Amino acid sequence: METLLFLEKGIWLGFAAIGFAVLFNVPKRALGTIFVIGALGGLVKFFMIAQEIGIVLAAFCGASLIGVISVLAAHNRKAPPMIFAIPAVIPMIPGFFAYKAMVGIIELTAEKDSEVYTKLFFETVNNGLSALFVLLALSAGVAIPLLITRKQTIKRIQPDDNLEVEIE
Amino acid sequence: MEVSNKPNKYELGEMLLEIGSLLMVSGANTERIKVTISRIAGAFGCDSDLLITNHALMITLTYQHKNKVFTSVKWVPNMHLNFNLISDISIMSWQIVLEKWTVERINQELAVLNKKPLYPRYLVLLLVALAGASFCRLFGGGAIEVAVAFVASFCGLFVRQEAMKLKFNFYLSIFFASATASLVAGFYFYLNPTETYIHAFSTSVLFLIPGVPMINAFSDLIDGNTLNGITRGVNVLIMAFAIALGLIVSLLIYKF
Repeated sequence: METLLFLEKGIWLGFAAIGFAVLFNVPKRALGTIFVIGALGGLVKFFMIAQEIGIVLAAFCGASLIGVISVLAAHNRKAPPMIFAIPAVIPMIPGFFAYKAMVGIIELTAEKDSEVYTKLFFETVNNGLSALFVLLALSAGVAIPLLITRKQTIKRIQPDDNLEVEIE
Repeated sequence: MEVSNKPNKYELGEMLLEIGSLLMVSGANTERIKVTISRIAGAFGCDSDLLITNHALMITLTYQHKNKVFTSVKWVPNMHLNFNLISDISIMSWQIVLEKWTVERINQELAVLNKKPLYPRYLVLLLVALAGASFCRLFGGGAIEVAVAFVASFCGLFVRQEAMKLKFNFYLSIFFASATASLVAGFYFYLNPTETYIHAFSTSVLFLIPGVPMINAFSDLIDGNTLNGITRGVNVLIMAFAIALGLIVSLLIYKF
């Protein structure tokens, strides 16, 4: 049952990725890949959170997986890697933390009682920092694999035989 | 590299600026624009020096033997994400290098490139609404909350598209969309105060999150295009602020 619930999350992650892919007008040939890598990256994150590894590291690993697969997919599907990576990573964005941090800030401005204020301040800063660091981890996780492999693209400016096959 | 039909110095530079501006508008990062433009300029045997900012591109082309130099600036319109165009231009840039296209041929191909959305508007609305519903489910919402998030995202994106069509300010459109989505999501829970509103309410605006500028900001910063990275980062902050403002409006109206 638990496994089933876990896999169900994968489907929702995939749909969320597809929604953003369509919003960004990605080529149709990329949609299937985006669904799969969006689901995979998100599941890695949820799995690591379930193993009680911190959410920031979990998000970083999920995003890195997406970045690496999107580089591989870019060669097969003939599209730049960022086209796969960006829609796939968006379902992992910590909307709930960001929302709580925002509401917390609004409440802080109206709070006068110092006891309540301390508790609220603690929660708000905690949520806000979580959101911030998860966002940073996601961006870094996606950007770094793309940066590492970009060297190869520059190398390929010298036309070689494989290239002609690759782009037809 | 010997180029058989040397282009007029204006048309090559203007074509490169057009490609750069299309890439910028579609949401490519700075390094990709630089690489693509210098690749195409290299195919014509020119050196290109680029200055890229978020709202203007400047290019200086130096022809072989330094016999001609061309400099020009082009204004870049507002962001309108289109990943299909980025992919097409990327494929085209390789073809230009390998098949030695002429400038006329490139201009023809640029005109033919599909700049329109690939997907019909209502399909986009439905799929984005589905994405909103998926977010709600992922954050732990039940069936009713998922349905509410679906309707709210649909209305929100619809309002944003209409606002963009009416040429409202970019951030104002986001504010309208976020306010609409959260008002629609909040309405059901206003009528049924006993149910938990927080999942549907907080996920109804998530379709607005500026994911592309955020990741581009980061990769620009890592590439050393610090100014562009900071500009994009500030842009993300303003967009996030617009979303938050929309949420606050509904929070105040419904007094959650």
